[in-house]
Amino acid sequence: MNRLDYLVLIATILAIPLYGLWRTRGRASLRQYLRGDASIRWATIGLSVLATQAGPITFLSMPGQAYESGIGFIQNYFGQPLALIIVCAVFVPIYQRLKVYTAYQYLGKRFDRKTQLLGAFLFLVQRGIAAGITIYAPAIILSAVLGWRLDLTIWLAGGVVIIYTVAGGTKIVSITQRYQMIVILVGMAIAFAVAVYRLSPDLSFQNTLSVAGKMGKLEAVDFSVDPHRRYTFWSGLIGGFFLALSYFGADQSQVGRYLVGGSLKESRLGLLFNAAVKVPMQFFILLLGAIVFMFYQFEKPPLFFNQPAYQRAVANGHGPPLAALQTQFDDVFVQKRALIREVSSASSQLSPNEREMAITKLRGLDAQARELRDRSKTVLEQAGVDPKNKDSDYVFITFILQQMPHGLVGLLIAVILCATMSAVAATLNALGSTTAIDFYRPLIRPHASDHHYVVAAKALTALWGLIAIGVASFASLVENLIEAGNILGSVFYGSILGLFLAAFFIRRVKGSAVFFGGLAAQALVFILFATTNIGYLWYNLIGCTAVLVLAPILQQTIFRRTEVPTGV
Amino acid sequence: MNTGDDKPDARFWRKAYGLALSIFAVEVVLLYLFTVRFA
Repeated sequence: MNRLDYLVLIATILAIPLYGLWRTRGRASLRQYLRGDASIRWATIGLSVLATQAGPITFLSMPGQAYESGIGFIQNYFGQPLALIIVCAVFVPIYQRLKVYTAYQYLGKRFDRKTQLLGAFLFLVQRGIAAGITIYAPAIILSAVLGWRLDLTIWLAGGVVIIYTVAGGTKIVSITQRYQMIVILVGMAIAFAVAVYRLSPDLSFQNTLSVAGKMGKLEAVDFSVDPHRRYTFWSGLIGGFFLALSYFGADQSQVGRYLVGGSLKESRLGLLFNAAVKVPMQFFILLLGAIVFMFYQFEKPPLFFNQPAYQRAVANGHGPPLAALQTQFDDVFVQKRALIREVSSASSQLSPNEREMAITKLRGLDAQARELRDRSKTVLEQAGVDPKNKDSDYVFITFILQQMPHGLVGLLIAVILCATMSAVAATLNALGSTTAIDFYRPLIRPHASDHHYVVAAKALTALWGLIAIGVASFASLVENLIEAGNILGSVFYGSILGLFLAAFFIRRVKGSAVFFGGLAAQALVFILFATTNIGYLWYNLIGCTAVLVLAPILQQTIFRRTEVPTGV
Repeated sequence: MNTGDDKPDARFWRKAYGLALSIFAVEVVLLYLFTVRFA
């Protein structure tokens, strides 16, 4: 990175929050602080929802995921459009009609306070940790490849977010997310164009895609019902549906985004915008990864993309085995490149049979290259260098730093930081709102002034920001923390969704039955997590189903006498 | 479930949801054709 890159980076990440602070200057009421004002339209809501979900991992890891395993991950988003339509039709009108600040207030109104507190508590535990991971995950990668200090990177991303989120509340989160998302989309579109431009002139774009497809990178839809296949149409549609329904319907970091402004129409249009654009957006990000993969079929890639870790292993005396692997890797690369040219050349003399054999050989060489990369990782581990992230997380950032022109490098680093800031801002805003409205106001100071609650919400948002930075700062002590964050979400999401679906669709159940049903469902998920080895996405379905089965049973047996809702 | 919509409004939103579903269906078909063409 040179001076121009730093100029673009600093200007981009500071200009947007400064503009947001200017737009939200002046004193806000509690309603304005937590719900924004009526000036917020569907486009801002739509981009804000998109930015909250995307986060930095989408832009850092997704292209690397496609580089490694192809674009089949797109299917994980197939349940989302259906879930968003249900959120529009069922969840949003209820939240808007009751004028709640948080989703969990609805549980209080429908059931009782203890159920409201249970929903809010499960959310706070899960999101409080997730906020730290959202800061840590890009910080560890950026600090490694750019040579920045990890603690300073964490404080840069986290500190700026805390300042503007505390100052401007929900409205500033929406405004900044709108512009951050525009920067992200423009940056990624330019990166896509540059990656296509940098492809080998030996192949047309169509031929490039054909070869990528033959090498197994472009299988977007797989209708297989084999449960061992990781990404299929069915697992994406069904599993993705429950995950998205819980995330968009019952996670305050998203609920707070679309309740901003208070208009049912604008909220719904913002969500439907997401239903339409999410799949194409993810497709282009994954396709970018496949194009980067094809770029590295003609330009020699590093054996290990996380070069700082590789160099540490060399310095620790493991240079000779790595050099041997590098030699074999270079040899495989040369063979692959020659074979791709032969297979895709317009003047190729290959018969269909010979062509098929060449493609099989090409796949074999690619598998060999992957195996050599895996072996290099084993050497790194033996050298005491155990990178916390997958090496595929370093693919796209390496491509950016080595292949993009100056200025654009700064813009794309800004894209990653914008994605971090927008996701963290939404989370901190939701954590602060939920703690203030669901815990502080009813339990600690029930009859204070409007201004008092604004100050409390600001203080609690700042406190959660510091907790997130604390989690990010100590994250390196925990093995596989990013994976742990994903598991944590699925462990809690099912039970939370079950509370809401019981509230909407099972009229006869009351507070105590749902509360204890929710606790039992959460305990069941914990037990399954500790004792079985099932895929964590299934916890969403199990937790949700357990609440929906247990709550009516408890209502009909232990809690036969009805209760009156008492929550706020 | 009563969402509080009046009738013309409800009709508008039913059309909007139908449109969103249709867009999603077209996206899946295009992705499938992409898979058939290149994979």
